[in-house]
Amino acid sequence: MEKNNGYKLKIDPEICQGTAYCVRVAPDLFRVNQGATVDVIESNPAPEYEEQILEAATLCPTRAITY
Amino acid sequence: METIRDLIPPPHIEGIKHFVDFASVDEILRSKDFRQGSHQESQPFFGDSLLTIDHDVHFERRRLQAPLFRKEALEYYEHEELLPLIERALEECKEASNGTGEIRTDLCALVRTMLARISAVTTGIDGVDTQERTDAFRTYIEQLGTGATVEWSTEDHTTVISRILEIREGFVEEFYAPSVERRKDLINQFRSGDLSEDDLPRDLLTLMYLHWNNDWDDELPLREATLYLVASSQTTTHAIPHLMIHLHEWFQEHPEDYEKRFNREFLKRAGHEAIRLHLPSPALLRIALRDVVLSSGVKILEGERVACLFTPANRDVKVFGEDARKFNPYRETQNVKPWGFAFGGGEHTCIGRTLVTGLSARTDNDDGTDGTLVNIAHALFNAGIELDPDDLPTYTELSHHDAYGRFPIILRNL
Repeated sequence: MEKNNGYKLKIDPEICQGTAYCVRVAPDLFRVNQGATVDVIESNPAPEYEEQILEAATLCPTRAITY
Repeated sequence: METIRDLIPPPHIEGIKHFVDFASVDEILRSKDFRQGSHQESQPFFGDSLLTIDHDVHFERRRLQAPLFRKEALEYYEHEELLPLIERALEECKEASNGTGEIRTDLCALVRTMLARISAVTTGIDGVDTQERTDAFRTYIEQLGTGATVEWSTEDHTTVISRILEIREGFVEEFYAPSVERRKDLINQFRSGDLSEDDLPRDLLTLMYLHWNNDWDDELPLREATLYLVASSQTTTHAIPHLMIHLHEWFQEHPEDYEKRFNREFLKRAGHEAIRLHLPSPALLRIALRDVVLSSGVKILEGERVACLFTPANRDVKVFGEDARKFNPYRETQNVKPWGFAFGGGEHTCIGRTLVTGLSARTDNDDGTDGTLVNIAHALFNAGIELDPDDLPTYTELSHHDAYGRFPIILRNL
């Protein structure tokens, strides 16, 4: 996967409520963890993921995702 | 006057389990074992809107609407719509002062006027332009809000629903129907290749008609629009009077902080406290999809309706400290948003929250907008807002909501 250093994908674990909407729109970048919240799989994703990143960040009901 | 009141559960939530502690409410809101149980009587206004649908269908609707809340959209609303509208509303007050530099007005109406245009822009309602049209539109939003929260009304609910449905017909004729027709026409031009997608308006109604779902009924866009119009103005209109009276008291008790009335970071913290203490939706209901045992050991049966009481939960000393019942703009919260459940929780967290709190809200780790609360409060202090000592604010008697009905103010610097 080509790296894009412009993004630093993060989820605030204290804000995430585990709706997993981000997993639905960007399954290569996020996954549900055993605590029923979400982890970032790839914090420095390739440029082709830009639209998925923007959609996941906006769609998250608690806006727990920053990039 | 008393500025922090307890929630007295209204009749529509009597006789069901109440949850008042933060942990239980949080667990229920996050759980996929519940569905929305609020807004049963207000179905004619909100039925099948984003507020009342759950799980997969909620996700798809939210996904459709999410572009309206992207960072660049929020920056546009704030800088190109909200800030000029705040200025314009104050300018209209200034014109009414006849050059005396002092104006008496009602804060609730003033804030609604400031927000009317941004509600129209995000929803897709045209023609909210002149002062006369803005006043008419604002009045329609107030009335639709009464219908949409009929469960909390102190009037006879059937009478309220009938009255507001009749008023809604006027809104449809005057504002909604022409706006929809224009959007349908633009979408047709786009589909026939005469218009690019970038030239289409970016608002709720355009999105819904552009991506029409055959499972929807013809009136769904009207109910979804009602949700947007009411919700986009209600939180701020509800919160600003509380914020102003708390800051009035705070500055009396802490005169050294008075100079911070223009400090946006201070106003942000104060705004978060105001909405934590005074929630626009003080309770929501949920229905269990299966038998559930909460972490506390409380059992909820499949099909059981329960009430999450946000007002006491947002004053839970375990989460917000021993002084949780008090207004404190310096409060620090751990592991929770500073406004608690003011915007709900779980998948039903208010989609428009960032319009109110801005992208720069604590815990968002972003910037670009400060939101309606900070911008309006800042403008009001610039205008020299003071409470009218001869005409103190009064709570509404038309609803069980913790809301002011009248809030007379003096603007001394116009």
